[in-house]
Amino acid sequence: MPVTVDARGLACPQPVIMAKKAIEKNEQITVLVDNDMAVENIRRLALKMSCGFSVTEREAGLWEIALARAGAIDETKEGRGSSAQEDELSCTVASGKGAGALVVILSDNHMGRGDDVLGDILIRSFVHTLLQLKPLPDTVICYNSGVKLAVKDSAVLDDLQQLAKDGVDILVCGTCVNYFEIGDQVAAGHISNMYDIAETMAGAGRLLRP
Amino acid sequence: MEEQRYVVFMFPSVSYALKAEKILKAAGIGHKLIPVPRHISSDCGVCLRTTEDKQQDVEVELLGRVEWNKVVLL
Repeated sequence: MPVTVDARGLACPQPVIMAKKAIEKNEQITVLVDNDMAVENIRRLALKMSCGFSVTEREAGLWEIALARAGAIDETKEGRGSSAQEDELSCTVASGKGAGALVVILSDNHMGRGDDVLGDILIRSFVHTLLQLKPLPDTVICYNSGVKLAVKDSAVLDDLQQLAKDGVDILVCGTCVNYFEIGDQVAAGHISNMYDIAETMAGAGRLLRP
Repeated sequence: MEEQRYVVFMFPSVSYALKAEKILKAAGIGHKLIPVPRHISSDCGVCLRTTEDKQQDVEVELLGRVEWNKVVLL
């Protein structure tokens, strides 16, 4: 029976430190964690220590991670002092949510400059791919011609609607839909104003602008 | 919704995908241009996704008008 480390309810970097200590003493361990940040950190630890790694989500918000080490720890690669620091470092890097909201800015209904036909394909691919980001963005803000992405005939409407369903807040600039006279066609997210838009951007940890 | 099975049409280049999209739009066949899924290819490309039940309709429309490389079940 592998050793089980119960790291539920513990804040970063506690779970990865406990996992590291346990795998140094045992060839096989099981770690229970309750947040995806810990899963990611332990995944990285496994990679660094060349351990086998597998994860199963036993129920919503509870992951069981199996780590298996083949042979002895390579001490040259695993200098104790530096690696402990690296663990903490990865902790801050991985804590996307903790570092502030991830806000995606759709300020144009094209992606990039140069060719609008290409820009149209790219923005469609981009918005579709947002659905696969982990963690998902907290907010998507559409302004200027970006609001055209959130109206009835938009090619990415289904993607934006799915994002909204998945809990992403979608702000659509009211001035902009008014300017383009498409206020009655907005079909994803909710009409917002410059106060909300400016506040959300100012409070963001990261702004992502395609 | 979750049960829905999709296929993707892969094309020799982006312009083929665009041409195919125009044809399908005109024919009223539901479809979506999406990035080529990572597990199929690491190329930065787009492909055309449709539901499995529409695969034949799409093939009929595209035959002789736009060439495609292959169809992959998602």
